[in-house]
Amino acid sequence: MPPRKNLVETILFAIATLVFLVVMPALNLLPEDSTFHLSSFTLGVWGKYLCFAVLAMSLNFLWGYTGLLCLGQNLFFALGGYALGMYLMLMIGPDPVYKSALPDFMDFLGYKELPPHWKPFHSFPFAVAAVMWVPGLLAFIFGILAFRSRIKGVYFSILTQALTYAASLLFFRNDFTFGGNNGFTDFKTILGHDLRDPATLRGIFIASGVLLLLTWMLISWLLSTKFGKVQQAIRDSENRVRFSGYSTTSFKLFVFTLSGVLAGLAGALYVPQAGIINPSEMVAAKGLDVVVWVAVGGRGTKIGPIIGAIVVNLLKSWATREFAESWPLILGGLFVFVVVFMPQGIVGLPAQLRDIKTKLATRKAATTQPA
Amino acid sequence: MIALRTLLLTFLVVLVSGSRSFAQATEAPTDDVRSVLTDLITGNGTEEDNLARLSEFGDPVIKDIVEAWRVGKVFVSPGTEPDTQVALLKTDDGFVNIANGQAWQGDPSVASVNRASRGLRKQLSRLVDVLDLASPDLSKRADSAMKLGSGQSPDFLAELQTRLPKQTDRKTRRAFEEAIAISQLANGSTAEKIASLELLGERHLIAARDFIKRMREGYTTDETPDGQLILVKADAALASIASFEKKVEFYGTLFRGLSLGSVLLIVAYGLAITFGLMGVINMAHGEFIAIGAYTVYVVQNFFAAHFGEASSGYESYFLVSLPLAFLVAAFFGAVLERTVIRFLYKRPLESLLATWGISMIIQQALRLKFGAANVSVASPQWLSGSFDANGVTMTYNRIFVIIFALVVVLFTWLLLRRTRIGLHMRATMQNRAMASGLGIPANRINVFTFAFGSGLAGLAGAFLSQIGNVGPSMGQAYIVDSFMVVVIGGVGNLFGAAVSSLGIGMIDQSLQPILGPVMGKITVLIGIILFLQWRPGGLFPSRSRSLDD
Amino acid sequence: MSQAPLHRGTDLVLSVEGVNKTFDGFKAISDLNFYLAEGELRTIIGPNGAGKSTFMDMITGRTRPDTGSLTLHKPDGHDIDLTKQAEYKITRLGIARKFQTPSVYTQHTVYDNLLLSLPRARGLFSSLFYRESKEDRERIDEVLETIRLTELRHSIAGALSHGQKQWLEIGMLLSQQPAVLLVDEPAAGMSDDETHRTGELLISLAGKHSLIVIEHDMTFVKQIARDGKVTVLHQGTVLCEGKFDEVQSNPKVREVYLGRGKAA
Repeated sequence: MPPRKNLVETILFAIATLVFLVVMPALNLLPEDSTFHLSSFTLGVWGKYLCFAVLAMSLNFLWGYTGLLCLGQNLFFALGGYALGMYLMLMIGPDPVYKSALPDFMDFLGYKELPPHWKPFHSFPFAVAAVMWVPGLLAFIFGILAFRSRIKGVYFSILTQALTYAASLLFFRNDFTFGGNNGFTDFKTILGHDLRDPATLRGIFIASGVLLLLTWMLISWLLSTKFGKVQQAIRDSENRVRFSGYSTTSFKLFVFTLSGVLAGLAGALYVPQAGIINPSEMVAAKGLDVVVWVAVGGRGTKIGPIIGAIVVNLLKSWATREFAESWPLILGGLFVFVVVFMPQGIVGLPAQLRDIKTKLATRKAATTQPA
Repeated sequence: MIALRTLLLTFLVVLVSGSRSFAQATEAPTDDVRSVLTDLITGNGTEEDNLARLSEFGDPVIKDIVEAWRVGKVFVSPGTEPDTQVALLKTDDGFVNIANGQAWQGDPSVASVNRASRGLRKQLSRLVDVLDLASPDLSKRADSAMKLGSGQSPDFLAELQTRLPKQTDRKTRRAFEEAIAISQLANGSTAEKIASLELLGERHLIAARDFIKRMREGYTTDETPDGQLILVKADAALASIASFEKKVEFYGTLFRGLSLGSVLLIVAYGLAITFGLMGVINMAHGEFIAIGAYTVYVVQNFFAAHFGEASSGYESYFLVSLPLAFLVAAFFGAVLERTVIRFLYKRPLESLLATWGISMIIQQALRLKFGAANVSVASPQWLSGSFDANGVTMTYNRIFVIIFALVVVLFTWLLLRRTRIGLHMRATMQNRAMASGLGIPANRINVFTFAFGSGLAGLAGAFLSQIGNVGPSMGQAYIVDSFMVVVIGGVGNLFGAAVSSLGIGMIDQSLQPILGPVMGKITVLIGIILFLQWRPGGLFPSRSRSLDD
Repeated sequence: MSQAPLHRGTDLVLSVEGVNKTFDGFKAISDLNFYLAEGELRTIIGPNGAGKSTFMDMITGRTRPDTGSLTLHKPDGHDIDLTKQAEYKITRLGIARKFQTPSVYTQHTVYDNLLLSLPRARGLFSSLFYRESKEDRERIDEVLETIRLTELRHSIAGALSHGQKQWLEIGMLLSQQPAVLLVDEPAAGMSDDETHRTGELLISLAGKHSLIVIEHDMTFVKQIARDGKVTVLHQGTVLCEGKFDEVQSNPKVREVYLGRGKAA
């Protein structure tokens, strides 16, 4: 059994590598009048989906494999986005209206110089480090508080939502030095490359693909070790793990922190492709969106969250175009259906269908027998 | 149930009648003012006498006529004899007889402009300044006294003093005394100043603080015994005012905290039942709140269409919409339980996800039906307004919500503890399998309990329609707070939910003036997380014997 | 972890002295004294609410006593104060516990359930680079043999029958290679045959390990107690202690526990 599973996985991995790192960027390189040309816009949209997929994977690592449902995964995503956004804001350069190198909203609020915590973000490496340690640190601190006092199950979910809510309130404030309502936008360059240049966008798309594949490899490796087994054992019976001599708190803390870091990285790559980051990324609804992707794709599976993130977002963009008014009805209805009738998501569908078929067959056998 | 409703109604009646019992002074007949004015203008009788008569009236018409007189719009038409002269007011549509306020039909060519003498004008303008001191509206009279007193002009001081003995209403009299005292701080003799300080200190009048401070400044270098005495008295008065202000602030915070806590309580109580007792994480709880609020909106529109907005029938729409909001939300709750929730009793996390989908659907359905913008729900007269309780402003809607919360708690308690269905509910919630084994119709109880919890959310929405915006996503603002209330209170413990919502309300209100609304809220949330470090099970944890809970 | 200086030489492995515990005014444990000798198999009986599970909770660190001491006497002569240790550290000290309801990792195979129970690489980072050794595999095979699940080693634990899960959990305890085994109602939900075999298994463990077994089923208690001591708990304290027959004939015990009908 296991070897076949591994084979399927390797093939899927190879296909994903080929598509995301080679085929799609190559199609983008074709001349615009070619039938196979993939526009930079479409590539950008798919780049965002790849970031969403990584975000979904980070949640799945936490929820699907450890049983900790975080409703604030979008917070870590947004924090990563903000961290890189700070760098991008500083790269905009002097502004024609205010004649200052400060971000516009600071000029507007009457700042004369950059606040101290902004200064290091002139450095790209610092910003990239912050993309990881800011969400990681927040997850770590919150994790200590939550896991130490044995908060789990729905309580953990509710508290992560409260944390996200508190953070969004903070980021909506103008005087929090992160642009308030409007957040960051109008980015111009990254590492000296023009963000409107297709080549730059292609580079960021490839980076998103690489992040997705690396995340996949990392999670696969972790799951294959004893660590991964302990992690899943915690999901099924945490007390038993603790009474087998493991400090479940440290394991959960590690998983939570790592998933925060991964979400932060996804957010960082999302921001230059979306061209904007603002506190609306932190609202509770976005956190639940991520949960939806994972649940629809199939939680506790490696490929499920990727499929879920891409399928739901494709569906959303199609439905918003076709049924501008009623797409939340469709999405909500679909979600209820998946939760109630497809607990294993899309990935679990074949097995579920097989089950139903066997059941029907046995029932048929049972009904024909007495006759 | 009937007894409760009677209680609520009685309370409402008391509220309504209380709000209408404003003391209304008897109105002085306007005709007299007009004839005195006519006498003054036409020179009938002595000027001095007419002015004295006029000062007895506080009618705003005096102000208009005096103004018109000043700008040359007052005319006089000769009559057959001197005392039949007619005083006229020139308007855009011709002349108006000042004596009766009617249009004048006489020959315009015979009318001539009348101008008051310089001396008379001066006296009239003073008369206008103190006009409101004689206003039949007593609260206007008191306000005017305070305004004139605060001006600290010696002229008006005399005016206030002569009018003081005529004030029979206690409140107005106090206002006059306080106004005089404030004016005397600047204009009085040493003895009067000391008396004023004593009076203001005793009345702990917050409005007088700045005047006392300013006066005190003038005496800081005064070495005379009188000066020293005034300093001492001023300090005493200031201290008394400060301590009163603190008290007012404290009770104000207490009151606001209590009312905010009551809002939270009503909002969270339904959740405490569906989440705490049933173990269902209902993310659509906020949408049931919205359903309740929109029910009020629909009922309001219905009443407006059938009874007209000015009728007394319209005024009672809110009372009608309360039970309806409960029933409509309860109905949708029952539907949700039958179609979705019942599949998920063993999977609490999944109930969270499914109800999130439901919440999306309800929100969008509301948006499609009523529009994305907030709708306006007018408060009935008897819920708006406020009264002043010893310096603390108590608004009627806040008082209403506190009583309303009490009624909800009491009613729920009675239902759960004193009725057969309540017993069944508690049994089913503790152990579904066991209860149904004992012949309790578990399915029906589940529907009932969930519908009841949803109904309470609807009631909460009905109330929130009176104090906040009604929009498709209004419930989202309350969902995090409600879950916090339930978690802090101890899941499954309704009493805990009541205590924690009041506690959170109080803490929130006392932090807000110090930290501002946003930081206050964040502090409360962080406080909650830290609180759970200390008591992971909440205030009143329910212990279970199962190990992998 | 703090280690007291070398302890006097006794054959005790666990001492519980003067322990009290109150929950919201309810006295769950009151002045409890209890001593377990090395290699002993001790059976604890007592009516519902006698504090049996709370007693085990305290030994394993799930619940802390209000007053009193819980001491583990290690074979090397050191004493460990259990009231100050975290749950997972108490496990690492060699105290293993089986819960009342079978608690296994339902998504893992039987083999992995046992593998995770071995006292190897239980730290966060060591678990990342752990590879099972030949010795580990042999140990697991041995345990599989003992609990008669060799055939089912690659099955998912969630698919086992109730009795098999109980056995698997006992096997997981054995994998931990503990000094002391705390076993809470192992025979619950088992058939008579399974119960009897469980009894035999427990008896075979005595000597190599020290065991405390909580049980309601008197036939089973009689089977495993043999000549060993039985402790009767009542209202959070030791009502009496002695051989099965002595306890059974003790009038106090008959009154509070065995019930008049049964005793007659």
